[in-house]
Amino acid sequence: MRRYLSHPFWQGAIVVVASYVAFEYVIGYVLPVIGVASAPVPSSVIVEYMLIVLVGVLLYMSADEERWQRFREPIRATMVQPDRRTVRGILMVAFPVLIGWLAYERVKPSYAAPATLRAVHPAPPNQLTFRGETIELTGLENPLREEGSMEEHLAVGKRIYVRNCVPCHGDLLDGQGHYAQAFNPVPADFTSSGNLPQLTESYVFWRIVKGGPGLPREGTPWDSAMPAWETILEQDEIWATILYLYDQTGFPPRTWEEEGGHE
Amino acid sequence: MRAPRGTGIVLLALFAAAPPALVGQQDAAAAGKVVYDRWCAECHGEAGQGDGSAAASMLPRPRDFAQALYQIRTTGSGQLPTDADIRFAIENGLPGTTMPGWPNLTDQEIDDVIVYLKSFSRFFAQGPAPEPLDFGSDPGGGPAAIEAGAAAYLTMLCEECHGLSGRGDGTSAPTLEDWRGLPIRAADLTEAWVFNGGSSVEDMHTRMLTGLDGTPMPSAIDAMNSGVVSPDEVWQLAHYLASFGPREMPPLREVIRVGRAEGGLPADGGEEAWAGVEAFHFPLSGQVVQLPRNFAPTVDGLWVQGLHDGIDVALRVQWNDPSNSPDPNWDEWQNKITAALDLDGAEPIALDSAGAPTVRPPDAVLLQFPFEMPEGTDRPYFLMGDAREPVYLWTWDSETGVGAARGRGLDSVEPLAEDPVAGEATWEEGRWTLYVRRPIEVESDGLDFVEGTPTPIAFQAWDGSSAEVGKRSSVSTWYYILLEPPASSTVVVTPLLAMLLTGAFGLVLVRRAQDRRRDR
Repeated sequence: MRRYLSHPFWQGAIVVVASYVAFEYVIGYVLPVIGVASAPVPSSVIVEYMLIVLVGVLLYMSADEERWQRFREPIRATMVQPDRRTVRGILMVAFPVLIGWLAYERVKPSYAAPATLRAVHPAPPNQLTFRGETIELTGLENPLREEGSMEEHLAVGKRIYVRNCVPCHGDLLDGQGHYAQAFNPVPADFTSSGNLPQLTESYVFWRIVKGGPGLPREGTPWDSAMPAWETILEQDEIWATILYLYDQTGFPPRTWEEEGGHE
Repeated sequence: MRAPRGTGIVLLALFAAAPPALVGQQDAAAAGKVVYDRWCAECHGEAGQGDGSAAASMLPRPRDFAQALYQIRTTGSGQLPTDADIRFAIENGLPGTTMPGWPNLTDQEIDDVIVYLKSFSRFFAQGPAPEPLDFGSDPGGGPAAIEAGAAAYLTMLCEECHGLSGRGDGTSAPTLEDWRGLPIRAADLTEAWVFNGGSSVEDMHTRMLTGLDGTPMPSAIDAMNSGVVSPDEVWQLAHYLASFGPREMPPLREVIRVGRAEGGLPADGGEEAWAGVEAFHFPLSGQVVQLPRNFAPTVDGLWVQGLHDGIDVALRVQWNDPSNSPDPNWDEWQNKITAALDLDGAEPIALDSAGAPTVRPPDAVLLQFPFEMPEGTDRPYFLMGDAREPVYLWTWDSETGVGAARGRGLDSVEPLAEDPVAGEATWEEGRWTLYVRRPIEVESDGLDFVEGTPTPIAFQAWDGSSAEVGKRSSVSTWYYILLEPPASSTVVVTPLLAMLLTGAFGLVLVRRAQDRRRDR
């Protein structure tokens, strides 16, 4: 084992295989399991990354003459030595078959839906118009936190949520309402640590007021079923619903200080 | 949340003179009230009467715990549920209604909330704890059992409500009411995934023996006791019901594959021509995006099949709708739905002096495409486009038939008289079958399909007899339809060529390496 680990050829091979596993599986499937927001990497991007890794490995190996010789040695041996005839034969069949299979994967007719890259939380505008009234979003706080009775605000928010939001976002606020499965993209899961705690209340206000039709292009406004709630709800009702969302899920909203820290 | 007026009195009355054994109950009820107020009260109401703020937009309505009429039980008809029965409903939810399962609650919280729910009704405190029925044992399924079950289906008059094919279209279906007098659907037995009491053979057998209290669904026990059916026959009936369709909702596949027809396209929607053609299921939701919204739609999904021959494309769309609207037999139903459901601002259909509706809306479906093939993945807005980006529609309704239209939003539809789309629909035993056909490319306005390129497609449906008109519809978001291109030789030639080249390159490399070694 140690002999292999100290050999440049096997070191290179391990780097290449490990990189592939990381790009293909760790980023897309392992990270979400341990709670880090992530998504599978498109295959064209993987090909690009793998080419970079391969070039990197070759550059490193050829930078030193002795290492280069040792790196090439097993490859050469497999090509020429009589006692490696079996391995050579297998590789000389397996490699063309692999290439043929890759080529087939490229040209075979595809019945998959075209990949859409959708930004779940696209950048918000600096201001919005609510039924004609201009509202600055930058630095905007939830006005209801400073006025009236929080208990009453939460009761209003809950009433608005259950009447209007439950069909899609669900009683449990988990994005699993009774109509959720009819929509694509699926409704937002407010219990996910990737949503509410990452967003300022003004951001959530923007998303509720303008809904799907108000998304920028990268948010695929054409297929979001989120209504533009300014057509249905009053501003205070929306702010109260936002209070309810954070209260019922137990998440604190992102503050403008945190927001600034990232710029 | 403020303590409701009634609750305190109920609790006081129950526990005022509580013996020591009940002190634990008292604590549990208090803990249960916290859970209830947080998660349940907005639908079921603060005093548990099923009259929360959102109740009017729900059909069936939330359970009224004060009545203690529970549909999902293991106890006899008219009896109270066991604690385990209530727990079953809380843990699994009631599919087909707005009641979800509650995996976020702990076992202790569920226990507590059960104690609190029971405190809403005086019946639980009276009399002994309810006992589950003896359900006997399943004699087993198989073709013979299913055949016997089919006979029992008729003996027990199931088809009067559920219809011969089980789609909830029986002759009594339009008259059904729950204990509140609100309209209630006979279950569509072909969609087991929306059975509120579970979809296994055991679940269905249990529901038949207990009946669904508060609904017209009776218990089979009387029929068993009077010798109309045997206990085994009720089990066989459960196996027959399980044979109506899949237990789970069919998996969603985003792309409808439209294969090339061997020997000509089907001329209509008949079964022979379409048997064996892959069918794709799409769930539909109520239109809850723009006012007036539809919170309790009839059509909850549809099936699509397609074939093409390089010149024309033909689609068959099927969906379940128990009423062949317009149908005066459903007048009463239409009136009751109009009265019972929050129409969200929609104008209710007026009645004439005899109490009959002045309008009987037709059933309708539309298939939606982009007006022109979009660039990249951009698409028009999924609710029939907007002023900037229109959609191209294939429309059908039960009065005017098939047509084409240009849509610029839910209330802007402009017919395209020149479009050659044609077709027809038939209704049979609670199911519409729509057949549409059109050339793949057309001279007139409207979309040209491109073989091998996915075209966005979306759906909308209306049940006229449930007063669904205008924006009060069922909708889907965008999916794709793909016309299979002719078989191409590149699929075979390219990989072969790649293999040959790689093989030859490898041979040359090895040969040269070996030559060099020999030279040395």
